[in-house]
Amino acid sequence: MSPILEAGGFSAWFGRQPALSDITLEVVDHEILGIIGPAGSGKTTFLRSVNRLNDLAPDFRREGTIRFRQVDIYRGDVDLAVLRRKLGMVFAVPVPLPGSIYHNLMLGPRLNKTRGDRNALVEKTLQAAYLWDEVKDRLHQSAFALSGGQQQRLCLARTLMMEPDVLLLDEPCSGLDPISTAKIEEALVQLKRELTVILVTNNVMQASRVADRTAFFLQGRLIECGATRQIFVTPAEKETHEYVSGRFG
Amino acid sequence: MKRWIKFVGLGFTTLTGLACLIIVAMLVLILGNVVIHGGPRLSWEFVSGEPRAGMTEGGIFPAIFGTVALVLLMTLAVVPLGVAAAIYLHEYARQGSQLVHLVRLALHNLAGVPAIVFGMFGLGFFIKFVGSGVDRAFFRGQLTFAQPCILWAALTLAVLTLPTVVVATEEALRAVPRSYREAAYAAGATRWQVVQHVVLPQSVAGILTGTILAVSRGAGEVAPIMFTGAAYYLPYLPKKLNDQFMELGYHIYVLTTQSPDVEATKPILYATVLLLLALTFALNLVAILVRSSIRRKLRGA
Repeated sequence: MSPILEAGGFSAWFGRQPALSDITLEVVDHEILGIIGPAGSGKTTFLRSVNRLNDLAPDFRREGTIRFRQVDIYRGDVDLAVLRRKLGMVFAVPVPLPGSIYHNLMLGPRLNKTRGDRNALVEKTLQAAYLWDEVKDRLHQSAFALSGGQQQRLCLARTLMMEPDVLLLDEPCSGLDPISTAKIEEALVQLKRELTVILVTNNVMQASRVADRTAFFLQGRLIECGATRQIFVTPAEKETHEYVSGRFG
Repeated sequence: MKRWIKFVGLGFTTLTGLACLIIVAMLVLILGNVVIHGGPRLSWEFVSGEPRAGMTEGGIFPAIFGTVALVLLMTLAVVPLGVAAAIYLHEYARQGSQLVHLVRLALHNLAGVPAIVFGMFGLGFFIKFVGSGVDRAFFRGQLTFAQPCILWAALTLAVLTLPTVVVATEEALRAVPRSYREAAYAAGATRWQVVQHVVLPQSVAGILTGTILAVSRGAGEVAPIMFTGAAYYLPYLPKKLNDQFMELGYHIYVLTTQSPDVEATKPILYATVLLLLALTFALNLVAILVRSSIRRKLRGA
């Protein structure tokens, strides 16, 4: 299978501060790639480089390439709006926007000017995010009335409304209770039939539960990347072994 | 030693409290004085009638109408301009660039310019320069816009209140969480879409606050409109943009300084002041109500 995303010698800096050094990594279609590593290891920076959200930081600088379906996403003629719709992102902290649940879900279609009748898609994405049963009777109530876990699943559904090819998840369960976490994990496993998932997580066990392959980042470097089972059972590098067995991080 | 510290603390509490008390006392004094002297003179006839008998009798409706029209025109001019400038400064311009620096500097200086200077500016720029130009270009040199009128007065006031609107709008834009912007960008929004769908709806309340401040300031200023459009006495209401108008603040000035019979105009003067205060308050109240209803709508569905 040809990779859907591939980073080649990708390095990044914020000002003079190096954030990523020489990352070479492939993501295969319809897999869940877990990215683990301690805080400050560059996981999030990598994720935000993939949909070019780092471009918002004025002092961001990078070298090397990231290819999405063989196209360098940092090429000058890439339409950022299109790119970011194909690479949908869910943030660490749930970011419901002010307004109703329905209003939130329609964010993508509104921006994309594809309004029309999206009710079927609304139900489908809410089902996929394991949220439909909880909100189907109150789609027009404020999104702020939802619990944190529900808000995060709403954000997942909102991203799915754009029908992305790749789902970028930045520690999506960091503030959630175990039940909400389980629901999101179930959703991801179901979703990988339709799309590719990159899951950045602080929770090593989460990667071991849902990821097909796992990459271990440390201090801006990719230490190793392989089948999740291999990373957890027979890691090639000493640091990986120490991290997954909980000795540091 | 301990007792001494306690004493100093008590002293400061008293002093700071006293300062607050003085503020309240001044407001009560002003309001009380105005209400006591002006209240009895208030009547429907006073609010709806025209000045008569050398302004010693009759009402002040033309001045009320002129004030409201002036402030509305000013708002129409200053809000779009101020909001647009603030959006550029905060959302588009590269932060820390020379241009942003320069605009901020200009704004701060604009805010510090005395009101009378704005009046002179309005006379020189709007009437003598723009007005004459318009007359030459569109009215074959006939005197139409090269004279004091409500349009130029409103624009002069708009320049005066511009910093207020820009600063308040910027404040409101700054208050929109970065996470909202990022969520919109991540959903494929362009910069304009982020502004349109996320930032502006979130800032409406703050922008209205700026407008409220501008309106209250504009409704009370006399100096900028003295040379640019306010009339001493007009028997008719302004109907066109190049008509002159009466205005409450200016009318108060006129009653105080130009009256042929000071004693006879005194009750009218007090009543006019009371009305100006009430009008400013009413304009504020309307804006505050609109703002809180928008806030409620934003918080809810």
